[in-house]
Amino acid sequence: MFDLDPGEELALLVETTRSFAEEALTPALREAEHARGVSPSVRAAFEQIGLAGLEMPEAAGGAGLGSLARVLVNEELAAADAGAALALDPIGAALYPLAELGGDEAVDRWLGSLLGSDAVQQRAVLVDLRDARFVCQGDQLDGEVPWVPADRVDLLVLLGEDEAFVVRQGIELETIRGAGLRAAGASALTLRGAPIEARFESAAGVMRARARSRLHAASLLIGVLRAACDFSRAYALEREAFGRPIAHHQALAFLITDMQMALDGARLLVQEAAWRIDAGFPAEAEAAAAFAETIEASRLIGPSGVQILGGHGFMQDYPVEKFMREARTLSQGYGGFDAAREDAGRLLCTGPESILLSHGEV
Amino acid sequence: MRAGCSVPGRSRFCFPTERFEVDFGIDEATRELLAGAREIGRKEVRPAGLEADRNGAPLPPDHGYFTRFIARGEGRTRWLGPRGRRRDPGPRRTTVQSLLLAEEGAYWDRGIGVANPGVGLPEGNVLGLGTEAQKEQFLGSFLELDRPRWACFAMTEPGAGSDAAAISTQARKDGDGWILNGAKCFIGNASRADWILVQATLDPTKGRAAQRAFFVERSTPGLGGFKIEKKMGLKAYESTSFLLDDCRVPASHLLGGEKRHEGKAGFKTAMRTFNAGRPVIAANAVGIGRAALDEALAFARAHERTGDARVRDRIEAMARKLRMARLMCLRAGWLADREQANLVEASMSKALAAQVGQEATTLGMELIGTVGARGDHLIEKLYRDVKAMDIVEGTGQVQRMIISRNLVQLPR
Ligand SMILES: Cc1cc2nc3c(=O)[nH]c(=O)nc-3n(C[C@H](O)[C@H](O)[C@H](O)COP(=O)(O)OP(=O)(O)OC[C@H]3O[C@@H](n4cnc5c(N)ncnc54)[C@H](O)[C@@H]3O)c2cc1C
Repeated sequence: MFDLDPGEELALLVETTRSFAEEALTPALREAEHARGVSPSVRAAFEQIGLAGLEMPEAAGGAGLGSLARVLVNEELAAADAGAALALDPIGAALYPLAELGGDEAVDRWLGSLLGSDAVQQRAVLVDLRDARFVCQGDQLDGEVPWVPADRVDLLVLLGEDEAFVVRQGIELETIRGAGLRAAGASALTLRGAPIEARFESAAGVMRARARSRLHAASLLIGVLRAACDFSRAYALEREAFGRPIAHHQALAFLITDMQMALDGARLLVQEAAWRIDAGFPAEAEAAAAFAETIEASRLIGPSGVQILGGHGFMQDYPVEKFMREARTLSQGYGGFDAAREDAGRLLCTGPESILLSHGEV
Repeated sequence: MRAGCSVPGRSRFCFPTERFEVDFGIDEATRELLAGAREIGRKEVRPAGLEADRNGAPLPPDHGYFTRFIARGEGRTRWLGPRGRRRDPGPRRTTVQSLLLAEEGAYWDRGIGVANPGVGLPEGNVLGLGTEAQKEQFLGSFLELDRPRWACFAMTEPGAGSDAAAISTQARKDGDGWILNGAKCFIGNASRADWILVQATLDPTKGRAAQRAFFVERSTPGLGGFKIEKKMGLKAYESTSFLLDDCRVPASHLLGGEKRHEGKAGFKTAMRTFNAGRPVIAANAVGIGRAALDEALAFARAHERTGDARVRDRIEAMARKLRMARLMCLRAGWLADREQANLVEASMSKALAAQVGQEATTLGMELIGTVGARGDHLIEKLYRDVKAMDIVEGTGQVQRMIISRNLVQLPR
């Protein structure tokens, strides 16, 4: 029955991740952005606590956790630095097409070697073909991706409409500035005659992989939005104008309230969708809606976070401009806002007669 | 091992997912409750609500709908009777269950939900603060209903709504009783109520601390001037304004008795009612919005409009927002069930759901176009009904004040 208590074990995971994020990531926020990466010691700590293979099967050296754990961990990491969260995770969303279309065997074969490679950090990257242009010729791929949040790509997983591809060679990267998430790196990616090393087909698998990918992005967004809310609220209580803390002018008090409400609501949608994935219920529409709602929340919270700091918010001495950019950047992928709405809307319109918004089972 | 079980060489979390306790599901027993409410909703509640809306007047107290309502055993007080004599009706519903039922009820007709016989709004106050004698006197006739009976709670005045500390209905001690003078407005079910719990002040300059609640029985001389207001929506129940003109009640009619009133207890009496009600109003708003969503979808299908991306967008936004509002509402209820503070969550659910309900019915109206202009489509009724969800039990602005007091210590 409806219960939001994460239980002792999940709470401990969240707590541990939060301490790590606050101690290792927050202080190095700008540093990581400039360095386009995280320091080896931070990476070591991340691997030490077992966050690198969070959703990987235990047999493959992962922690074998599910979507709910993923969204909670992502929120904690991204509340400190969403770019670093991407940089630290060797696998990220690339897991989902392999797991959903190829199963454990594919996960093992293609991702197993990325875990625990202590020396260099390899990166698997997922590209949704909705965000790119590709031509498939026989068993080779040509195409372009305007942006991937990485400076190296060791394994590229491409998610199409009813199939997924794995590519490792023929990948050319051009370093670009990146609008946000620079701690993860940023590249324009080109494939020229890249051999397709594996190809999996399943329209249902793609839908599920896309749902999990969207939740991955949405939960990072939630973390960024939380940081923006918390930072701007604290500032509003300190800063005075017209004889009182700016937070005590109703226009700002209500804005802060609306920001918090938007965040809380979106977070519940994200967590519910993740719970549905773990429980094995259909979750495509719910995950798409959760992503859409989180993006909508970010349209309010990102710019408002800056607004609350006024001119200071515009300056890079404060992190709110970074939160605004990163929230926007995280909203661009997997087809973005419109595709999420379209997917959810289509599923609703072809679904049952009465949208009872049934609780759990359907 | 519970945490951080080690794989050679490194420590790793080792938490099998099935051990997580988070659960967004609804259990079988609750689903059965909801299925029952759905059945009654379809057969009884929706038709009664439409009838009242068409007639532009509340259903009369002797309407068959009410007779059937009490014949099903509904409308009874939660009070267990003198010294708990009545057979325990079994496990009480959890707040989460009540909220889901409040949503389902409002899906079929929110106005009827308020029109239903029973103690209604003041019940929590009387159970929590009333003396045993008061429970016996005022809840006794609601143990088993011989006929449809109502009670009501009167706070709002023509001059004071949101600022409930500013009410001016005066209570003056007179020998062993009290004399009440003032005017109340928009009070649900007042003219058909056996008694009205009236919020009054001993001294309007002293704010909350001076407020008290009094039981005023229908036959009390001086209670009069009943005017059933004409409303934009929610026509199924009466919202009534009335006067208290040298209205004398005995000392025993002061809620909780004299002793209880030290400090701010008087005002808290009223605020308790409002607090408990907020997530319910939120759930009502979700129910109304959901009805609009289903109607909109049915319309779009019947008119072959689901192929239009803009139409799909509207349906999508409605469904998403309503789902979010429901989760906010259940979160507030879940906290209440665990006896954890839910002040912010309750206000958030109300502020958000009222807004979302309004949006959903608006999108519905936009989708049906000129059909909505005719004034006989269900969505049009829902559009009128839902507005009140952002007004009653604290407006959206008042909810935001409550939230901001907590978030940024907004001064009163
Ligand atoms: C259908 C219906 C049924 C009702 N049933 C009952 C009932 O059974 N019992 C009962 O006691 N009452 C009842 N009410 C009354 C209801 O509780 C009040 O209407 C409500 O509290 C608002 O008060 P008001 O109408 O005086 O508006 P006002 O308080 O005059 O508010 C007017 C506007 O000003 C805003 N405002 C006020 N103060 C502030 C502030 N500090 N900051 C920002 N904005 C502010 C409000 O949000 C609102 O938008 C009912 C009302 C309706 C519509």
